[in-house]
Amino acid sequence: MGCDIVTVSTDTKFVHKAWQESEKELAKVKYPMGADRSGKVSRMFGVFDEDSGLDLRGTFIINPQGVLMNAEVNFYNLGRNIDEMMRKFKANMYLAKKTNEACPSKWKDEGDQTLTPSAKMVGKVHEALQGK
Amino acid sequence: MSEIRLGAKVPDFELETYEPTKGDFGTFSLKDQIQKKRWTILFFYPADFTFV
Repeated sequence: MGCDIVTVSTDTKFVHKAWQESEKELAKVKYPMGADRSGKVSRMFGVFDEDSGLDLRGTFIINPQGVLMNAEVNFYNLGRNIDEMMRKFKANMYLAKKTNEACPSKWKDEGDQTLTPSAKMVGKVHEALQGK
Repeated sequence: MSEIRLGAKVPDFELETYEPTKGDFGTFSLKDQIQKKRWTILFFYPADFTFV
């Protein structure tokens, strides 16, 4: 199942083009750059800063049915961890197939230990994580 | 426009885009993504020409 990444800011598509073409750091960027000049989409996701007219660093994962599965918002001055973003994305893809399982915090990729919540696990999460 | 929340359907939206791979403009639409059965990661950032 495929995934599309779209980067979004309140710049116009013309500015996106100029920036992507002029900034060497962006030479390898291949994702579509969304222009939310009015802030309409940014407001919907709660990342639009009314004072500055800029977007906060928000990351949202939407499944193929259009359902929001993950949301993370960092303030301007805190960068995102791409590994953690990919971990969350992989976990969401996995959990879409294995609907009775849960991915614990240390889950990284398919094959890693998951939890299957049940009455037996109540009060025994530690043992379950140890594989007992 | 309604507020979005986890586990709920995101209202349809569209964005004009610049597509670096094509060197051309395009459109992103959530409706298209649902039709094509594709996942979407939206990555908001403050502004072009800043220290992102």
